Amino acid sequence: MFKKILIANRGEIAIRVAKACKELGISTVGVYSTIDKKSLHLRFMDETVWIGDSPAISSYLNIEAILEAAKKTKAEAIHPGYGFLAENEKFAKACEDAGIIFIGPSSKALSLVGDKVASRNTVKKVDVPIIPGMHMTSTDISLFKKTAEKTGYPVMIKASMGGGGKGMRVVHNEKDLEKSIAISQREALSSFGDDSIYLEKYIEEPRHIEFQVLRDNYGNCVHLFERECSIQRRHQKIIEETPSPALNDELRIEMGEAAKKVIEASDYTTAGTVEFLLDKNKKFYFLEVNARIQVEHPITEMVTGVDLVREQIKIAACEKLLLSQDQIKQNGHAIETRIYAEDPDNNFVPSPGKILFLSEPKGPGIRVDSGIYQGCNIPPHYDPILSKLIVWSENRNMSIVRISENLKEYIILGIKTNIGYLKRIIDSKNFASGDYDTHFIDEHEESLLPKQEKLNIALIAGALNKSLGISKRAKEYDSQYSQMTTPWQEIGKWEICSLS
Amino acid sequence: MNYKFNFLEKTHKINLEKADDLFKIIINDKQEYTITDVEVESNLISFKADDKTYNIYCFSDKDKTHLSIDGENYTLELEKDIATKAKTGKQQKGNSVFSPMPGLLVKVPVSVGDKVKSGTTLAIVEAMKMQNELPSPRDGIVKKINGKEGEQVDALQVIVELE
Repeated sequence: MFKKILIANRGEIAIRVAKACKELGISTVGVYSTIDKKSLHLRFMDETVWIGDSPAISSYLNIEAILEAAKKTKAEAIHPGYGFLAENEKFAKACEDAGIIFIGPSSKALSLVGDKVASRNTVKKVDVPIIPGMHMTSTDISLFKKTAEKTGYPVMIKASMGGGGKGMRVVHNEKDLEKSIAISQREALSSFGDDSIYLEKYIEEPRHIEFQVLRDNYGNCVHLFERECSIQRRHQKIIEETPSPALNDELRIEMGEAAKKVIEASDYTTAGTVEFLLDKNKKFYFLEVNARIQVEHPITEMVTGVDLVREQIKIAACEKLLLSQDQIKQNGHAIETRIYAEDPDNNFVPSPGKILFLSEPKGPGIRVDSGIYQGCNIPPHYDPILSKLIVWSENRNMSIVRISENLKEYIILGIKTNIGYLKRIIDSKNFASGDYDTHFIDEHEESLLPKQEKLNIALIAGALNKSLGISKRAKEYDSQYSQMTTPWQEIGKWEICSLS
Repeated sequence: MNYKFNFLEKTHKINLEKADDLFKIIINDKQEYTITDVEVESNLISFKADDKTYNIYCFSDKDKTHLSIDGENYTLELEKDIATKAKTGKQQKGNSVFSPMPGLLVKVPVSVGDKVKSGTTLAIVEAMKMQNELPSPRDGIVKKINGKEGEQVDALQVIVELE
């Protein structure tokens, strides 16, 4: 097993990985950009190294600086987390050349699956269905036009190195094609340092269902069932659940076996996710392999009891996978909501700034993977994810109730977040029915608007606070901030009074 | 005591009177509430209104009061700030286009003197990896461009001015 791992990421995922390392007795090296000097993830590291200026391109995407940090601290392996360099073939190769283990697939497997176009070509060979479209990236607009005419509009433009909806655009007619190509290229370049894009047919009313897979260096391969990820805004997942209400056991087994086939055909090792689209006739198509630990991995951990990050690290250290397929069971139901610094009532505009007050929920079946503390500044340079609220319960209905109740107890004041919006989705009849697809948010835009039914209560509280709060808190700022815990302390110590 | 709060560009008047153990509150001269069991403890305000108990998290930041009620956040601003608040309206109107958030000015695809139509992209700002196109609020001619491509811009910073 490794003695020391460098974690080339920030925020909640860097903390999640650091915790797995500690449990395995591995010491951790954290890295940070200039603006992240006081970020929470650094408090979980045994050593920290500054890797560059605030823009990601100078720091968390800076391969040279990260390798330099690993060499300087004598880290034997690098965990890339998700986003940034997680699926970057050049980075994996540079690690291999430097004699440092990249915790993920080999650069060769990454070139097959990390690149979406290459991966489509691999999967076609093993009889797993793929979406019609281009089989290579291009900058030739006429090729995009030709393919779009052949498959028919609407079409989807995608970044070959992409993930998380970045660089992705739906195009409904030829008129918008050229402009969308340019936007996708720019977004792809700034997010992944690579502007290769391609086009495929846009599947209408699809559900997005993915399968978690683990595979070791000795050919042992298991899947850990599905995650239903159809609730998305701007092609980015915001709520995930498992099991999916759309699958029966037969389809579940069929898709799980297909996922394993994809991973084996690519000679992929460690943890990976095979994404599928499921159309309204319950036909599934291979979408892509996410060659990383994913944001939504905790729901799989909650229902299977398998620590995916731990398994990922063990496999990277050439240990044998001890799990067999028939040992892995889905127990109960888990839901994750992603907490973002954004304004859902104003077109999801990012909302960086200072968190003035924070209280996070606690209790049975609740997991909070968080990268924030009270008083911290959320910088504008990176992804707006703040944390994730994950719940587990015996069945879907109970999980829905549990997450709804605990979103109420997730208090972040000072910046805009999507917490209220997530709660409106969770509380909607359409979500409860389980019958939804990736257009859920566009279709239910109206009913997801804030109702402001408690505005009068807010006004009463505001008036009481002004009238009593100030006199009672003559040293207002001091006493409010005295409530603030530091990142060195546990966060969210409120005992919540029940409303009923 | 009277308070005027601004919430989403509307002003709300609140009259608060203390009487023994309770408060009488009138909102916008119409709706009356009797408030009892008021407790203010650091960032938590509890009270009973119409026999229902509320526990509300609260943080006062100068003239802004941030509140969280059952998962929904409300930010109230004292009335005196409304004059300066006018320019923070969500609508891009009139003669200028501003960035709705702090971020990186990625591109200004127009030049001074260009004739632009309503809806033409005047600037692209990127924050948290998302690119936002700022459209022209009306037909017009570009008078001034503040800021260069690759520069950091602040929230509400005017980027392009129209004649």
